[in-house]
Amino acid sequence: MADFIKNPVVPLPDQDPEPQIPAEELVFTDAEKQQIAHWVTRYPTADGAVMRALWLAQEKFGFLPPEVVRLTAEELGIPYAQAYGVATFYTQYYKKKMGRHVLDVCTCFSCQVCGGYDILHYLEEKLGIHKGESTDDGLFTIQEVECLGACGSAPMLQVTNGPFVHNLTPAKVDQLIEDLKQGKTPPFVSVTLPQDEADLGGNRRSDAAAVEAYQTPPVSATVE
Amino acid sequence: MTESFYFTMEATNGTPQTKAGDWSNYQRVLLPPIRDLHKLEVYEENGGYKALREVLANSDWEPSKVTDEVKASGLKGRGGAGFPTGLKWSFMPPVDPDIPRFLCCNGDESEPGTFKDRQLMEYNPHLIFEGCLIANYAMSIKTCYIYVRGEFADWITHMERELAKAYDKGYVGENIMGTGFSTDIVIHKGAGAYICGEETSLMESLEGKRAYPRIKPPFPAQRGIWGYPTTINNVETLACAPIIINRGGKWYAGIGAETHPGPVLYGISGHVNKPGVYEYPTGMLITDLLEVAGGMRGGKKLKALVPGGCSVPVLRAEMIDGVTMDADSLRTVGSMMGTGGMLFLDEDTDMVSFLRRVTHFYHHESCGQCTPCREGTGWLENLVTRIDEGEGNLRDLDLLLDLCDQMEGRTVCALADAAAWPVRNTINRFRDEFEAKCKPAVFATGGEVEAVVD
Repeated sequence: MADFIKNPVVPLPDQDPEPQIPAEELVFTDAEKQQIAHWVTRYPTADGAVMRALWLAQEKFGFLPPEVVRLTAEELGIPYAQAYGVATFYTQYYKKKMGRHVLDVCTCFSCQVCGGYDILHYLEEKLGIHKGESTDDGLFTIQEVECLGACGSAPMLQVTNGPFVHNLTPAKVDQLIEDLKQGKTPPFVSVTLPQDEADLGGNRRSDAAAVEAYQTPPVSATVE
Repeated sequence: MTESFYFTMEATNGTPQTKAGDWSNYQRVLLPPIRDLHKLEVYEENGGYKALREVLANSDWEPSKVTDEVKASGLKGRGGAGFPTGLKWSFMPPVDPDIPRFLCCNGDESEPGTFKDRQLMEYNPHLIFEGCLIANYAMSIKTCYIYVRGEFADWITHMERELAKAYDKGYVGENIMGTGFSTDIVIHKGAGAYICGEETSLMESLEGKRAYPRIKPPFPAQRGIWGYPTTINNVETLACAPIIINRGGKWYAGIGAETHPGPVLYGISGHVNKPGVYEYPTGMLITDLLEVAGGMRGGKKLKALVPGGCSVPVLRAEMIDGVTMDADSLRTVGSMMGTGGMLFLDEDTDMVSFLRRVTHFYHHESCGQCTPCREGTGWLENLVTRIDEGEGNLRDLDLLLDLCDQMEGRTVCALADAAAWPVRNTINRFRDEFEAKCKPAVFATGGEVEAVVD
């Protein structure tokens, strides 16, 4: 038993690491404090607002090192340990510094059988990194993620916890990378229902920036 | 559980019978063909919030009568478990003004293969809000939380924009439409955890904790969020409530299969020509749905079908003849309705690597609370990976089945069961493929593990 404690299988996280965000930047502005206070009013206790507050902190600082989690916990008046538990439990909270654009490629279930891994490997080759790594210029991080809930438009990916890019092909990936390098984030795409093709001409929303239909998934290159 | 249980075919007397009636002329109700239905003014023009006005303003509609109407409709939960919704609503304890009560709308749609709720959130969000409000009225609830998974960030902004309009118009909030009934809707943003779709873990997540499922009982209706009575329903389930009020429970009960009625959003994905979300009644023949979705891609043959999200047992192509999409019919072939997210696989699919990815999913998404699940899902993945890489032994197959026995029913929530079912059934139904990938054995296999179990 003693050996196990001396040599834990999973290394214990550093309890008090060097802060990665300079102390002078580590503050919420008044507007952000107001926003958090507004969320707190929607729940019986302040605990409920912790997920929203962590989202806000992640959007502000880019990721959630311990000092940011501590700041959020103090703002809400909840124990640091609880906020830290939440921040480390959910996969969408980044525990380490990520690239400016995080490409979450879905390879789960439907996306797997429709060529999700082809897209993942194509991206890895194109950017010269493995999944879970960032490019040297700090622009891109590739992640392999679990089901994103867009199985009909497989294969697909999500850009930095935001817009979905559906019905991926290598050409579409090239275009996406070009756009992102120029600072253009992809628009929200409304994926229309197949039953609407006859009734509504395949477009349900007049206010959507882009509309796409579900497409037959491409035959995977790795199946043959 | 005997093997023959899985291979019992439903008697169809030669010709397959659909339970969906005249489905080709079915008029959609959840996602009717109306442009810009997500906008409040368009929704109002098309009878929106009529059901809410009816139950609030008409004194005939006692809260208990709303529940009775939902009971009469035979609506079953659309989130996977298929529990009767009216019955669930009636589990709420009697109203005590000092004790707050909550409704949760479960929009944490993370089950692989399921993508129906996202379309409902985008195209008909007010139907969801109206359903929540009617449910709040039926159970005298003051607050409804809509838990949406964090990946749907764009849809959360979309719904919040529409919700703000509904607040402005007085459909939500204080003194709704001057009737004295007040209730709030709050949209909660998750952050990427499959386990949050489980009701008790959703409650933990709402309370701002790690999403560890709780032991039931006490059920959410007794002790839910913050220890107060809570009811949790799926997005699609709640969206059915205004339809039931508008058209009557009797009408609803007459749609589709008798024991599992109503319209369903089928999310069809995989190797089909026209994937997507289709709205049809329950009890559709699987072969009809495949035809609606344009048949198999490239004229290939169907090999396997997962009828309701990745947790439900997979079906071989020859098992689907005459099987309809409702709980009873799917049970006879040893599968389940689940969420209605159907994945069609063509003849080129490698079932071993398919299962490998499914086990990886469960290993990744196990919350780590119970040892059989935390360790078991990891071992499932390790063993299936070994077989997929050609390093497996034939004994590993029986070891996997034995491992499934050790996981099912031994954990707080059903994630371990959901991880074990696809493994057990994929191996049982495609054993030849698994054996072909294993290293050949020079001695008889299969007996040893069972001998230990007995």
